[in-house]
Amino acid sequence: MQDARPVRLLIAALGGEGGGVLASWITNAAVAAGHVAQRTSIPGVAQRTGATTYYLEIVPDSGNGEMPVLALNPAPGEVDVMLASELLETTRAVQAGSITPSRTHLIASTHRVFTVEEKSAMADGRIDPQRMQSVLRQFSKSALLADLAATARGANSQLNAVMLGALAGTKALPIADDYFRAAIRTEGKAIDANLRGFEAGYALAAQGNAAEERSMPVLRAPRAENQIEARAVRTLPREAAEIALEGVRRLTDYQNKSYAALYLDRLERFARKPEADSNFLRELARLLAVRMSFEDTIRVAQLKIREGRIERLRRESGTSEGALIRVSEFMKPGPEEIFSMLPPSLARRILAWIEKRGWSERSIKMKVSTTNVFGFLRLRLLSGLRWWRPRTLRFAEENAWAERWLDLAERTLVRDPEAAKAVVATASLVKGYGETMKRGLKNWNLLADFVIEPFLEGKLPREQFADAVTQGRIAALKDADGKPLGALIESLRALPRQQQIAAE
Amino acid sequence: MAEVSFHSEIKSLTLSSGDTFRGEGILAVTKALLQSGVAYVGGYQGAPVSHLLDVLVQSEDLLSELGVHLETCTNEAAAAAMLGASINYPLRGAVTWKSIVGTNVAADALSNLASAGVIGGALIVIGEDYGEGASVIQERTHAFALKSSLWLLDPRPNLPTIVRMVEKGFELSEASNTPVMLELRIRACHVYGSFDAKDNVAAKFSAKHKIPSPAVFEYDRLSHPPATFVQEKHKMEQRLPKAQKFILEHKLNEVFGPENGDTGIIVQGGLFNVLNGRLALAGLSDSFGNMKVPTLVLNVTHPLVPEQIVKFCAGKKSVLIVEEGNPEFIEQAVGQILRKAVLNTKIFGKDVLPSAGEYTPLVIARGLTKFLEANGSKAPALTDWIAQTDAHQKEIDGALGSPLPPRPPTFCTGCPERPVFSAMKLLKQEMGPVHVAADIGCHAFGTFAPFSQGNSILGYGMSLASAAAVSGTQKQRPVSIMGDGGFWHNGLLSGVAGAVFNKDDSVLVIMNNGYSSATGLQDIPSSAPEKDGRGNGLEIESTLKSLGVPWVKRQRTYGVEGMMNTLRDALTSDKKGLKVVIADGECQLARQRRVKPAFARLKNEGKRVERTRFWVDPDVCTGDHSCIRLSGCPSLTIKPNEDPLRPDPIAHVNNDCVGCGLCGEVAHAAQLCPSFAEIKVIENPNILDRLKHRISSALIRLMGGNSGGSGKAPMPVPAE
Repeated sequence: MQDARPVRLLIAALGGEGGGVLASWITNAAVAAGHVAQRTSIPGVAQRTGATTYYLEIVPDSGNGEMPVLALNPAPGEVDVMLASELLETTRAVQAGSITPSRTHLIASTHRVFTVEEKSAMADGRIDPQRMQSVLRQFSKSALLADLAATARGANSQLNAVMLGALAGTKALPIADDYFRAAIRTEGKAIDANLRGFEAGYALAAQGNAAEERSMPVLRAPRAENQIEARAVRTLPREAAEIALEGVRRLTDYQNKSYAALYLDRLERFARKPEADSNFLRELARLLAVRMSFEDTIRVAQLKIREGRIERLRRESGTSEGALIRVSEFMKPGPEEIFSMLPPSLARRILAWIEKRGWSERSIKMKVSTTNVFGFLRLRLLSGLRWWRPRTLRFAEENAWAERWLDLAERTLVRDPEAAKAVVATASLVKGYGETMKRGLKNWNLLADFVIEPFLEGKLPREQFADAVTQGRIAALKDADGKPLGALIESLRALPRQQQIAAE
Repeated sequence: MAEVSFHSEIKSLTLSSGDTFRGEGILAVTKALLQSGVAYVGGYQGAPVSHLLDVLVQSEDLLSELGVHLETCTNEAAAAAMLGASINYPLRGAVTWKSIVGTNVAADALSNLASAGVIGGALIVIGEDYGEGASVIQERTHAFALKSSLWLLDPRPNLPTIVRMVEKGFELSEASNTPVMLELRIRACHVYGSFDAKDNVAAKFSAKHKIPSPAVFEYDRLSHPPATFVQEKHKMEQRLPKAQKFILEHKLNEVFGPENGDTGIIVQGGLFNVLNGRLALAGLSDSFGNMKVPTLVLNVTHPLVPEQIVKFCAGKKSVLIVEEGNPEFIEQAVGQILRKAVLNTKIFGKDVLPSAGEYTPLVIARGLTKFLEANGSKAPALTDWIAQTDAHQKEIDGALGSPLPPRPPTFCTGCPERPVFSAMKLLKQEMGPVHVAADIGCHAFGTFAPFSQGNSILGYGMSLASAAAVSGTQKQRPVSIMGDGGFWHNGLLSGVAGAVFNKDDSVLVIMNNGYSSATGLQDIPSSAPEKDGRGNGLEIESTLKSLGVPWVKRQRTYGVEGMMNTLRDALTSDKKGLKVVIADGECQLARQRRVKPAFARLKNEGKRVERTRFWVDPDVCTGDHSCIRLSGCPSLTIKPNEDPLRPDPIAHVNNDCVGCGLCGEVAHAAQLCPSFAEIKVIENPNILDRLKHRISSALIRLMGGNSGGSGKAPMPVPAE
């Protein structure tokens, strides 16, 4: 008797993505086409999260009533088709050995559902999607990699229907297309939407790999629109000018033209130095613009009543045409946010008093509606206080911080240009509001006082300068409780002493 | 052929002789119960057999038509005790639960049941939660079968065999007066296949045709001395031989392949398909199970039938025993049987196969290769496959470089339990760490990132009991977390009553979400009585008060600050004794199943409806992700920042947001940032809404002439 080898198919999905329905469509299509089909699953828990897998085996009916012994576990190297609904989970299936270059046709969506670990990183914790995609191509016989979730949205359908269409379109299974369509119809739920998704997926597979579109932030070409912008283009190398133009515009909007001029003054101070290459200047221009447009209450108010914001909000929240929206902003300014809007001497006295009374942690819980005239008025008045900003404690403090950062960068630059890049990059630690801001500043000060300064003063071995600053920045971003940075500083403190002992 | 496969699941339970049943393993078991004339069913939910109970509950109409009594048991002990009906009456009964944990809970009743013995067939359908996808400690149910003299079935994982073993299981139970366990692994529970259906059979005595009078008093039916001494003897001297005879006569175990050979394999029925796949690769079988090695498939793994084992092994030099998990009970038993029969067949088992972990194709292939090599034969195809797989794995690991981040299950979008852990994390920052006794249920996800809270898990409803000695030996009060499911399952007595009785100074948080959610939204005693539900609305609060719990507070979970205050009170209160916080918040999965269709219906009917969702202002968010570290909500995610000056990804609320409000609460409670906005979407707004909106818009337009600082365009008005 001929030994019919089953076609083996593995589906990897996340809970709630309809992987079960997809598996049952395929099973039913296979059975309708006259094959013997078996499937099983590791469904995980009932929640709509976490990874789930479905495994199917399909064998042509032997015709003599003899039932094949089908497997319940996918074996490495024996999967013919793999369907996967998310990039990381697809890569995980590859890691488990399920996909093989000699056999597996891979159909996978490249969209990402980020893990908690990736999402909760203090800066950018995302895994490189290009690396994952290249691994997928390397380890599959054929790979249809496309953002199937976007295809589903475009067709106003569901991901699983698009995946079924893509499976049919790649002709990887011995099942005619109409059996798949019939499976959707017979299941009987959201038939039209699912068929739309099916056809969209089918078309995608038919045309082969769709070019991946990446939405990268696009910079305006360095073309100046006014005098101050012209100055940026004139005094800075092209790579830095691109960013500096954006910075000039940001700061003109943030404060005024003379503030933008201060920004350029600061940049030009570095642009004149031979040690400052264009990469250095570009990062400096970027971070300086971000730090100089620090988010005080005036800025937040300004951003929250910005034109076009409500349209964007409607668009991003998928609000339908006829619906009205009411927007409430969650704000909870504490004493620091409020009183740092006063002149330094007065603000410092008030804040010291508040601290003495133990009220520092108090704050005012506010829900301000920007679609309501009174809420709008409050923010409108606040944003109108930009003229007052240079007189505030917050401004003075930010200005002093920026001067110190620039000073450190400048002193480093003449000694060690590589280390200077690392010093500039430390500005990314200082960001956010409230506790986040305090934590960032504290970490930055630790880095400045116990890492950068000692290097500049020659107390630490020079060749480790750049690396130590970079490690310090990464350590500060590793954990919100600050332990890794503390440990790093401790290890640096131990360094010179060891050397002294060695010298003795 | 194709038509039947599209029948809805419950409809397929009514199929009769001549029909082809198509569906999953668990549903096939249900159909087999009905074909066996079962009189009563019950159990306790838990993956991978939750489905069995769900199907039973949802097919109540069919059950009552057949007169099948259905009991939603409060725990597995209750389910096992229910089988007591078969001690005195000729009633076939079946219960189900997840094992090993369920069997542990049921152990007391099981021992008593097994001792007394049954006259009506008693079947326990066990979901053996072992290997990939398992959620409990990894132990074997087999041990219980051995110690209590229960028979254990482990059928080949295809529907005809599973169904046959259910039917034969009842007969075996009655023939040997012994309860029978039917063990199904995770993949077997969910295996989709087909079998030839038979008519359903109504039991002679049932809920429809009630037994006219109670059983006569018969002391020997009690598990009580001195009857217990007689029963122990009866088990060994009568029930065991009867069972062994039945197993042989009805060919419950199967022999595949040639009759004679130098080597043979003894395999648990449930592992047959994996074994066959690897033998086929080795050229020792094919896709239809035509084996070239003599193979004894144990669809009954306890008791073994010594004469069957002896007959199989006689004349063979060596035998491989493929037995998953530990200890290797079958291997030990076979060894003893062969020794007594003075047979010299060498046994291979845990020496070539691992003693722990699931027997996947690769694991079995490695063991098989070692076995074949030790016996002087070779399977080049198999060894090549292993070598290729290993080389492939090495190559992949090299290409991937760093390990991939894990994706453990987490709370659903908008889950009411998440805010409790947000509050606990914030409180930890404020007060320092406390000992957290975790429990079984959705709330166990609080042990994963970003919350990472919990020092121990001791079983379902056991958290408070597990903190008893901690509360007595630690300065800071421990906090125990328990679900309402765990509370009714075990926590009420083992935990609360014990803590009150012992005056433990401890804090208990009960997640009152209204269902047994982790297992798929089954009703529990405190579930609200609804049209389709089986809940009775039992009150947790009054239950606690009636037990004399000195301190009980209810707190809506979504109010993070309120939850922090309540927990702080509980942890710092001068009052000694047990302090219970009832954390109220309906399971969002259940709520959305109700609310979403209702919202869509009203919206389509043109009625005014409001929905809430959250939004992160991309201009204001600085990408620190503190909010995510206090939430972990699937709909609170990240996206690339469009701002060329700020490359780090920013927080983003996707369109799955159900508007639970946690984002805003956390932003307030932790004083995070002003990036969060709550959006109230009013569909089909009424005249008053429109008027209010027009006036506000007009006034804003007046003021917005130079708003936002750009000094160019006027503030646009939201389109209507």
